Amino acid sequence: MATPHRRKRRKVDGDTLPTPKKTRGPASPRKRKTKPDPSPDTITPDTSSAIVDPLPGPSKLDGQRAPSEQTFISIDELPPLLPDRFHGCLRAQKLQILRASQRPSVGTPAASDEDPSTNEIASTQLKNLLDGTLSRGEGNSCLIMGPRGSGKSRIVEQQLDALAEKPIILRLSGWVQRTDRLALREIAYQLTQQTGSSFLLDDEEEPSAVNDDDENPFLVPSEPNASQGVALPPASHLPALIGMLPTLSRPSIVILDAFDLFALHPRQSLLYCLLDTAQSCRAGAGSKGIVVIGMTSRIDANNMLEKRVKSRFSGRIYRTAPPAKLYQWLEVAKGVLSVETQTSDQHTAEWRTLWTAGIYRFFENDSVQNQFREAYAVIRDIRLLSRILTSLAAKLSPSSPFPSSQLLVSAISSQRTRPQLTSLHQLSYPSVCLLIASVHATRGGHASFTFEMLHESFQDQVRASSAAPVQVLGGNIGMAFEELISTHVFVSVAAPSSNTAKEFVKYRCIAEIEDVRKVVDRDGQLNLRKWFNKAQ
Amino acid sequence: MATSEHWELELYTLLSLCPPSFLFVNTTSARSTSGGLSNVLKRLSQEPQDKAIFSARVDGIACFTSRLIYDTILNGLAQWEPSWADGCANWSAEGETRRWNDTIDGFIHGIVSVGQHLQNTRVQPLSEEKKSTGAELIRLVITIEHVERLRECVPEVIVPLTRLAELSRLDVCVIFLSETRWDDIRPAYSAAPDPYFIDIAPAQKEESMPVSSSSKHPIDAYHPELRSLWSHYVALVCDVCYSFTHDLEELQYIAVARWPGFVQPILDERLRIFRDVHGHDFDPSDEQDMLLVAEMAFELPADEVRLRLTRLFNPSITAALEELYPRLTNAKDWAIANKPEDDILAQLPTQLHPFKTRAKLPASTEPVEISTLSRMSKFILVASFLASTNPAKSDLRMFGRGLDEKKRRRRRASKPSGTKVKSGPVRIPQRLAGPMPFPLDRMLAIFGALLEENDTDKRPFRIEYSIPGEYTDMETGRVAVSALIMHLCSMKLLHRSSALDKLDGPPMFKCGISYEITLLFSRQLQIPLNDLMWDPL
Repeated sequence: MATPHRRKRRKVDGDTLPTPKKTRGPASPRKRKTKPDPSPDTITPDTSSAIVDPLPGPSKLDGQRAPSEQTFISIDELPPLLPDRFHGCLRAQKLQILRASQRPSVGTPAASDEDPSTNEIASTQLKNLLDGTLSRGEGNSCLIMGPRGSGKSRIVEQQLDALAEKPIILRLSGWVQRTDRLALREIAYQLTQQTGSSFLLDDEEEPSAVNDDDENPFLVPSEPNASQGVALPPASHLPALIGMLPTLSRPSIVILDAFDLFALHPRQSLLYCLLDTAQSCRAGAGSKGIVVIGMTSRIDANNMLEKRVKSRFSGRIYRTAPPAKLYQWLEVAKGVLSVETQTSDQHTAEWRTLWTAGIYRFFENDSVQNQFREAYAVIRDIRLLSRILTSLAAKLSPSSPFPSSQLLVSAISSQRTRPQLTSLHQLSYPSVCLLIASVHATRGGHASFTFEMLHESFQDQVRASSAAPVQVLGGNIGMAFEELISTHVFVSVAAPSSNTAKEFVKYRCIAEIEDVRKVVDRDGQLNLRKWFNKAQ
Repeated sequence: MATSEHWELELYTLLSLCPPSFLFVNTTSARSTSGGLSNVLKRLSQEPQDKAIFSARVDGIACFTSRLIYDTILNGLAQWEPSWADGCANWSAEGETRRWNDTIDGFIHGIVSVGQHLQNTRVQPLSEEKKSTGAELIRLVITIEHVERLRECVPEVIVPLTRLAELSRLDVCVIFLSETRWDDIRPAYSAAPDPYFIDIAPAQKEESMPVSSSSKHPIDAYHPELRSLWSHYVALVCDVCYSFTHDLEELQYIAVARWPGFVQPILDERLRIFRDVHGHDFDPSDEQDMLLVAEMAFELPADEVRLRLTRLFNPSITAALEELYPRLTNAKDWAIANKPEDDILAQLPTQLHPFKTRAKLPASTEPVEISTLSRMSKFILVASFLASTNPAKSDLRMFGRGLDEKKRRRRRASKPSGTKVKSGPVRIPQRLAGPMPFPLDRMLAIFGALLEENDTDKRPFRIEYSIPGEYTDMETGRVAVSALIMHLCSMKLLHRSSALDKLDGPPMFKCGISYEITLLFSRQLQIPLNDLMWDPL
């Protein structure tokens, strides 16, 4: 599956997830060194060597690599320990992988016979929209909608970077600008930064100039200095400031991250002003144009708008989506892992050969493919993939220089299938006792329990089985209880009250009985196990 | 789960190359991890990197408001120490008087400003060739410890902090460090991006504890010669204590407390040798003696001696755990109180008994504030305990007297003979489930019953009270009793559960003392407590 031929693979992908068995024979991957469908520009190697080209087709077609680099190396020749001369190369490679994994390139250009992906469509639509504003001075608005990590921000950033002339870009986030006044102040600040003049202060200066004669002692004279702080403007300035945006010397782009949160602001006045300005912006009438781009992962964001706001919104909704096929996911992973280094090291070419062979071996591994498939089947968020790849790259070292199945498993277990209660696995003896006592209480029909109940149960057990390892003082077990509370294994049922003594506050155990069983089994103490089994 | 070396290496690699913008370090011991983290950051700032790394650390306990968090981060990144002489001013760029700490917006502007300041002042003078490329040359690392506290105090800053890189558009890495899981901190509506996780495994038993060996002469518990014995000793302490606490610092505390006693026999032996050779006792303040002792070569204790020491001191380590782990006393006092006998090794093995702790703490039977209570307040407290634990319906059966003045109709103690298992939850005695609130009248009634049963014979005879129970009624109705109840409330031995300004109905109270204390009082008052409890122990 190193370089899956796109057309062939897509047929397989049709509706179901491809299984490696379908595309690969029963023979072990090591023996089978030829590609399933070699591209016409590569030489078919003999059976003892593998083509070291895990890159997907498009990047190869770019002609970035010289044909001389198309070397072959036997997978068995990969050194288990990296020679000293490659240490610099490995570091550079890790750096590049980490960089690439922060910004994985999802939008690979699609082949001509396939419909363009969702993100490509959104990207093109956004490009056209921006074109309309920047070249013709239109007032536009749109909403980019898609699940978390599906590339909303990336598409916007890509399009903004691609612009020839730099417009005024105002970035607002619903997480930070929690009220319209804060948002307005931020707009004023960013305008000051990008245009060099503060429009808010100009507005304020005029009345103050008029009132100079009154010598209002409460009015602090404001300096029209751009570096000064921007005071919180009154809400009445909102329409004036936003209405002025199209009259600036450059077109303006307003980006609203977490658009749905702005819709929760009272009366949606910011959205109303922005969308109203965008709608009433007449092309060619001396205005430079404005575009309002909202980004949200909430699917009903459009319906959250009030009627008067909605009627001013253009209704353009561009959708983004995570990769729809497993092979796209894998291609992203391959693209990240086989990113090229740009070093002046003399061993770079040699390293490149080794590295591509290592990547080839990695992706040929059945267990690796299973891991990727499993991760993809559960979460399609591309950011999860980038976290997995980051973890993979961070753990590469001269003693294990190439990605391996074990590293991938550990990366996935640390980033995706995280153990639920890690703190359970190093509990001390008193804590385990309390945990078992809580299981007994739960089994007895009391889902919530007090410390006294657990302590009584524990004492009964110590009394009943004379073989308790060590008699524990009360203080010790009380501390264990606090430990369990602080690690959120026991969570309080009711709000803390001043007239309830600490030992009678009710708690609930969030560890499942199976978790406790694992802890007890791992601890291996026979007494504890017997006591635990009584609860069955 | 990564061991300490692994995670430090992983973090170092990430931070030096290209870290994710948001990391979450989940640990079991925040203190030791915080130390490891500062080691990593120190190394990063000392060794040459592609980008200059500036870091700031915030403690969620110390920074309990958003302003404190913002100021600490900005001052830390700019390496600015507010000084008293300057009026403790926070960092601000040259020529600016802006405050960065009013809102999160201001803070983000502040971060950008700090970034520019650092880039201009710290980095670019050093690397002129990079200046031309215009690339960012700095990386900001912000570590926030005890993040779970932020969730309680300033939940609104968590989301912006997790998205700081995209908001400020700088190379910023935010590291959250917590003993709590991310799932318990995660803001609602998946507002924060998922972090890059680093899980840290707990310290292993085998990880040895370092000991500072500063001593100059060999007749001292901290001489480097004894290091091999120390490692055996540490293994012993770990064997005994590890199942009770996995906290390395607690183990160290216990180990350090017992160590002077543990080596005392060996040092005694060395002193004896010194006396035999030189004819006088060793005096550490005498320089001549110091020279003499430095020339002498002492043998390390043989295996047999070590085993004997182990056997002798094993029980005392358990005792140390029981007293030192809950900090019933401190290590120094404990060590002094539990000094071994002199010349314990010189005795014959048959005479030896395993070393026992001598100085037991005084049994904490009666706390000081309770021992001063009057007899009547003890009656009130016992009555309120009974009112809090017994069901109200049972009062007549428990306290009512029949005509014969003797017979009380108790609860039938014997269980039904059939082993039929009843459905429904197991009954929990009220004593364990917590005290129930009771009206004052009910408690006064029980109080009267207790007085009538146990107090009448101690009163002086008064001719005016001829009707049975009249004297007791008089006693329970005294103002002093009401005053005592309010006094006990103020001592938190009784809890008032109804509002103070409520007029209708009797005031409600809850008992605030435990069963053990009640038992103590009832013994002093000669009340048969178990007979009066609905769920006797």
